[in-house]
Amino acid sequence: MASLIAQSPILIIAIPLAAAFLIPLIGMVSQKARNALVVVSLVFVAFLVFALARDISINGIHIYTLGATSPDLTIPTGFMVPVRIILEVDGMSVFFSIIWSIVSLAAAIYSLSHIASETGQTRFYTLLMLMVMGGFGLMYTGDLFNLFVFLEIASISGAALIAYRTKFADTQEGGFKYIVVSAIASLMVLFAIGLLYAQYNSLNIAYLAQVIQYTTLDKIALALFLIAFAMKTGMVPLHLWFPDAYSVAPASITGMLVITSHACMYAAFRICFTLYGGVINAPVVGWIIIAFGLLTMFVGVTMAVYQKDVMRFMSYHAISQLGYMWIGVGVGLAVLGNPQLLATFGRDAMSGGIFHILNHAMYKPLLFFTGGALFHYTGTRDLTKMGGLAHKMKWTTILYMIGTLSISGIPPLNGFSSKILIYESVYQFHPILTITGIIVSILTLASFTKAFHSAFMGAELPEYKRGKEVPRSMIIGMLILAAGIIFVTLFPSLVVDWAIHPAADALIDQSAYINAVTGAIP
Amino acid sequence: MKFILGSGYTFWNPLIWIIVFLVVMVMVYFFRRRGQKGYKKGTDQARIFLCGEEVPEAEQRHIRVGNIYWGFFETLKEYYNFILKPHTGIINDYILWFVVAIAITVIILLIAGLAK
Repeated sequence: MASLIAQSPILIIAIPLAAAFLIPLIGMVSQKARNALVVVSLVFVAFLVFALARDISINGIHIYTLGATSPDLTIPTGFMVPVRIILEVDGMSVFFSIIWSIVSLAAAIYSLSHIASETGQTRFYTLLMLMVMGGFGLMYTGDLFNLFVFLEIASISGAALIAYRTKFADTQEGGFKYIVVSAIASLMVLFAIGLLYAQYNSLNIAYLAQVIQYTTLDKIALALFLIAFAMKTGMVPLHLWFPDAYSVAPASITGMLVITSHACMYAAFRICFTLYGGVINAPVVGWIIIAFGLLTMFVGVTMAVYQKDVMRFMSYHAISQLGYMWIGVGVGLAVLGNPQLLATFGRDAMSGGIFHILNHAMYKPLLFFTGGALFHYTGTRDLTKMGGLAHKMKWTTILYMIGTLSISGIPPLNGFSSKILIYESVYQFHPILTITGIIVSILTLASFTKAFHSAFMGAELPEYKRGKEVPRSMIIGMLILAAGIIFVTLFPSLVVDWAIHPAADALIDQSAYINAVTGAIP
Repeated sequence: MKFILGSGYTFWNPLIWIIVFLVVMVMVYFFRRRGQKGYKKGTDQARIFLCGEEVPEAEQRHIRVGNIYWGFFETLKEYYNFILKPHTGIINDYILWFVVAIAITVIILLIAGLAK
């Protein structure tokens, strides 16, 4: 078991990659075997992620150096700097990878029925596994260039998956927009990496964090990193592509795209806190993030209320919720240089933001899955054409209600736990942040009530009288996420102590990340 | 207690709320049980009275999404006219916003650096 955990960072990346290449071969023999391979490999990866998380909670940061005689041999004999590809997994990386593993498993199970009538399913699962691999790689890499490579893998496979249902014209448009936006954002990331490499001759994040000077070029690189990742997460005013792409993808992929946004948020946090943490003008960058976060929350929710397409409606809500996370972590960054304020409310604001990422990663894919179930049943995304669906879709109705109450921050559901942590901590930084947050929560509830009434309430409409509830695997996919919501609802403290605080502390404690690489000379 | 989320000034215990919900549900059930027992489904007792007008069929009475919150959108018409403008659906415009955001962020960081 110890050997398995020692090798787990690379296995977590390699297993989905190997599965992606095996799927076309096995798919030629048996579709059931192909589907089993997808689910079994994701279950095993989830097991490894949890085992690694447990190990990190006991033994601290986990290092894996590729090609070295020992995984922790980060700097080869005769060298002064790390030159090999290094995977570095701390509390923050493993927290995001837990989310990634759970949602990707739920999405794969949901897909078994959701795309059962589509052609090219083998290609779908191959791309899905590549996307999963890209996400894990992005979270675990300790190297900037590999961060770019994994970002590209996740983006390209994501674009292909958005455009997967070629029978619909809007999927092609959505996929095209996603790939253009992703390619430009990735190019800016590559350009920023180039600016750092030109000055410091290294791509290793820990080493760069040690030597970075915060020169004019470093500031330009920071802006490029920040805005490129902000664009990928859908931060307002860079969100315009977001509903165009998210609303047309298969619902299981939309769930994956939500956590891809989280992965890009992780990259932005890693850059701001770990790479630039020692030199950054924290109050200024913190306020930039907070200002964009406020805009994201408010514009996202007001646009959501306006929507009549169920998936666009949910996409705008995804944007709005991301604002809470940016604000929580932005406040933490703004007071990073002041230990007293950081201890008083900064750490809690960051914990609230990070906790909200976890909650969002469960209720948002769940809501997208229910949107996909509505599309599966009615054949339309147009809410004006729906009504009375609760009569036939009992499971979907209950699961939609769980998601709705959670996203709206209604107690006792998990959305409230993270929101109260954000509200009470950011209030001490500036009351307007809390006030805006509460208004956005009220509008969120109002808009979800509207959608609930339109789709589920009322008498059965004649055109939908003959249908039946969505297939079992789609319900199982939704139940996995609902179970996660219930668990976090009941045990918020357990989750915060075990996963959220270690993740926030990993961001704050930049020296631990640096020392894990540069201090590991044998 | 792993049920309680506390951070010095934040206190949150979901169990209290769950218990309160259960008590409220029991009370609702109790009041419902004490309701009018003479009610007969499917008779004239259950028919809707609409000032003597003919009542439409149940499926025609459903209020669709376009009719909900009409007053809200009417009041905020100017805000929505303003906010809908950038949502052109054209990818060139999206990239323009990206360039503008980068330019603003670079300028802020450089000016803040000079001030420091």
